[in-house]
Amino acid sequence: MNWPLAPTDVPIGDGLYAGARECPSSLENLCQLVRDHRAAGSAIYPQGGATALDYGGVPARPGVVIDVRGLDQVIDYPAGDMTITVEAGMTVQRLTALLAAEKQRLPLDIPFADRATLGGAFATAVSGPRRFGWGRPRDQILGIQFVKADGQVVNGGGRVVKNVAGYDFPKLLTGSLGSLGILTQMTLRVRPIPESSAVAFASCPTLEDAAEALERLNLSETRPVALELLNPSAVGWYQSRGLPLISGAWTVVVGLEDNQAAVSWQVEKLREELGSLGAKLEVLSDGHADPAWDALMHFAVQPPGRLTLKVSVRPSEVPNLFGELDSGLWALQAHAGNGIVWCHWIGPSEGNSLADLLPEVDRVRSLAIRGGGTLMIPHCPTPWKERLRVWGEPRSEWPLMARIKETLDPEGVMNPGRFLGTIH
Amino acid sequence: MASATLPAISGSVFEALQADLTAALGADGVLAHLDERLVYECDGYVVEKSVPDLVVFPTSTEEVVAVVKACNKHNVPFVPRGAGTSLAGGTLAVGGGVMICLTRMRRILEINIRDRYAIVEPGVVNVWLTRALAGTGLHYAPDPSSQGACTLGGNVATNSGGPHTLKYGVTVNHVLGVELVLPDGTVVEIGGVTEDAPGYDMAGLVVGNEGTFGIVTRVIVRLSRDPEAGRTFLGVFASVEDSAAAISGIIAAGIVPAALEMLDNLLIRAIEDAFKFGFPTDAGAVLIIETDGLEAGQDREAEAIVKIVEENRGEIRKRIPWRTRTEPDYVAIWKSRKSAFGAIGRLSPSYCTQDGVVPRTKLPEIMRRIQAISKESGLRIGNVFHAGDGNIHPIVLFDERDPKQVERALDASHQILDACIELGGSVTGEHGIGVEKLSFMPKLFAAEDLATMVQIRKVFNPDDRCSPRKMLPTGAGCIEKTHPGRHASA
Repeated sequence: MNWPLAPTDVPIGDGLYAGARECPSSLENLCQLVRDHRAAGSAIYPQGGATALDYGGVPARPGVVIDVRGLDQVIDYPAGDMTITVEAGMTVQRLTALLAAEKQRLPLDIPFADRATLGGAFATAVSGPRRFGWGRPRDQILGIQFVKADGQVVNGGGRVVKNVAGYDFPKLLTGSLGSLGILTQMTLRVRPIPESSAVAFASCPTLEDAAEALERLNLSETRPVALELLNPSAVGWYQSRGLPLISGAWTVVVGLEDNQAAVSWQVEKLREELGSLGAKLEVLSDGHADPAWDALMHFAVQPPGRLTLKVSVRPSEVPNLFGELDSGLWALQAHAGNGIVWCHWIGPSEGNSLADLLPEVDRVRSLAIRGGGTLMIPHCPTPWKERLRVWGEPRSEWPLMARIKETLDPEGVMNPGRFLGTIH
Repeated sequence: MASATLPAISGSVFEALQADLTAALGADGVLAHLDERLVYECDGYVVEKSVPDLVVFPTSTEEVVAVVKACNKHNVPFVPRGAGTSLAGGTLAVGGGVMICLTRMRRILEINIRDRYAIVEPGVVNVWLTRALAGTGLHYAPDPSSQGACTLGGNVATNSGGPHTLKYGVTVNHVLGVELVLPDGTVVEIGGVTEDAPGYDMAGLVVGNEGTFGIVTRVIVRLSRDPEAGRTFLGVFASVEDSAAAISGIIAAGIVPAALEMLDNLLIRAIEDAFKFGFPTDAGAVLIIETDGLEAGQDREAEAIVKIVEENRGEIRKRIPWRTRTEPDYVAIWKSRKSAFGAIGRLSPSYCTQDGVVPRTKLPEIMRRIQAISKESGLRIGNVFHAGDGNIHPIVLFDERDPKQVERALDASHQILDACIELGGSVTGEHGIGVEKLSFMPKLFAAEDLATMVQIRKVFNPDDRCSPRKMLPTGAGCIEKTHPGRHASA
């Protein structure tokens, strides 16, 4: 099988196209399609809402898209159990509406909710600011069903909130980027929608002030569910979305969700704790906080330039990393409580080539690795991907991952090229 | 018996292995005499017994590697063990071999308050970490009832839970990484102190492996911010049904309690007799309901809970506001709950417990089934539940001197687990499959699911030399249980 000679209407990212888009209407149909295309020697690129098509390495060989959006039914929603079982093709927006009818929600930040599917969200393990308080996709998934490269259906976990029978396939598949199989169904833990929420922007004149605020917030009397840090360039982006941030400030963002009494108390407490540090506080509450939450979860996925880095460090190292990256060249937002830093390149168009940026990427990567962290590249021009090593330096656990991949997909049918260097 | 299916170790192999292990660990790191090894013939699951051929006590990762390599050299199976509190035979030395006791690897290596993690050796007892963190503002969330004895390595192996998992999750939600000695002696760093390392969620996969992936020699756990305050209530009900309706009401009101425990009349009487906390012995059921968070938000939740309990014909008999969890009433109520299994000894010469799970909304249904099973078997069955999770611990009372009762107790336990599966649940919420529940795996999972699990085990443990015949049924290795257990705590 060859790559299509001309672009088709089935993009798979990185400027590449699939030979066909298959839209199975049932699980059996999907399994048959997997078997048929594998037998024909085709690679399989699972797809949902196509909101993260360029994520990861470059697709390695020609193939077809299996689009799971036709599998979008609710299998079971026992609201009193605070769980829901749904097919993977359901959009996040639809799930949100279903849950809202029972005053519940999935406490994850998933961008582009109108298009993003649950399968895609869990395959990419997307997360946002609320991970500080509510955890990541791995913490919300209880059961999974997926279809392996041989067309077999595999189930793991279960539909109850507590279950230790068998290996934790829900965790293994979450974040596996379609490389082990196609996610077809999942059981998720859901939570009551908090009665009240607030987002507080604390503007600090210097990075040192912001670092002190974060230090203080670590053992704050409040219990934030989000703890973010923005550099002055990122502040500009928030201002462009109409949010009341102060130009030029290093901004600590505190997200609160709880009952009304607890949120109000925390807002007052924050004024006390951060006011004494000289930070200027702007608080958006309840409905007014929604655009702020929305912006906080979309910054990472709306790169203004050619290059975006995702750096993982210890939370205490976040301010140092901010200090190492020129605010004129990088717009930065950190999930500071978790040590995750999103870095968008905003440098001038001259000095924007791979040769110009490679040393900078290497420098930041070595800073991350020095503290036991990692750097991966969620966004860059396709031709740069190999040189920049999208997934970073090999780690001692990678050979095990490669063996898992070889075991479940010996012919390398599922999403080839996308994941770690050793996994094709 | 399982031991018959694995070859016994010959005398010459045994001597050579003992010499290698003694060279690696020193004489005081190896137990060879039968009378010393007998202690290790079983764990909290006493039905199956198998004496390991040698018991070793490594004190470092390097020593664990040396032990594993020696076992490989002599083709002898090995099994890790922490405190041996498993209620499912998770540390049974099936077929003998070398038992690797990790209780001498018991240092807390690092506590990092700013970055909210701790690094511990596997033999650290769960409560030691709790104590080490007291006053720091942070804690390690999973608190199994056996936390005074069970080790963090064992918690990782079984993905332990406890009474506070409804709000805070189980072990896997609090493990950032581990150091793992693979069955071939390779040391692998899984995860780490930073989050989102690229690749599969290996930490997520390794937690709950029940010792079948290798030996965990170091654990990086996440630390959580302490709740500022809480309220613990004792709600008293005339019937189990009323208590179940109150549970549903609390969840429907959008409250996620930190703990929600139910005890039925049989357990209430046993506990009251033992601890004199003030449980009403005529009640059909009690709920221990705990909320936590910011003091500012507590009264509202408290009012809502009182109202829901009363609406369901219940009565709040105790209301314990707390800040430090050292308040006498707080300590007393939880001591009573966590020692519930110990108190059962007063009621019956023998008992066995199960660890089934049902969807929370099916609690009334499983209670009816258990009552019917009790009636039919003629055996008393008491109940203590992690009700918020739907995790049930039915306790079947019997007299092991009467073989017919033993058989009926076993049947009753199996029927209860079958009912859990039928209601959409699981056969284990926190104890693990071990050897005890191997025969239920094919009822929970399809052949393809189990085959895939075997494939994954082979990635780590290709020769099945580490913890053989555990967790996953193999045609030859399925252990037929002939005798129910006598259990310590859950």
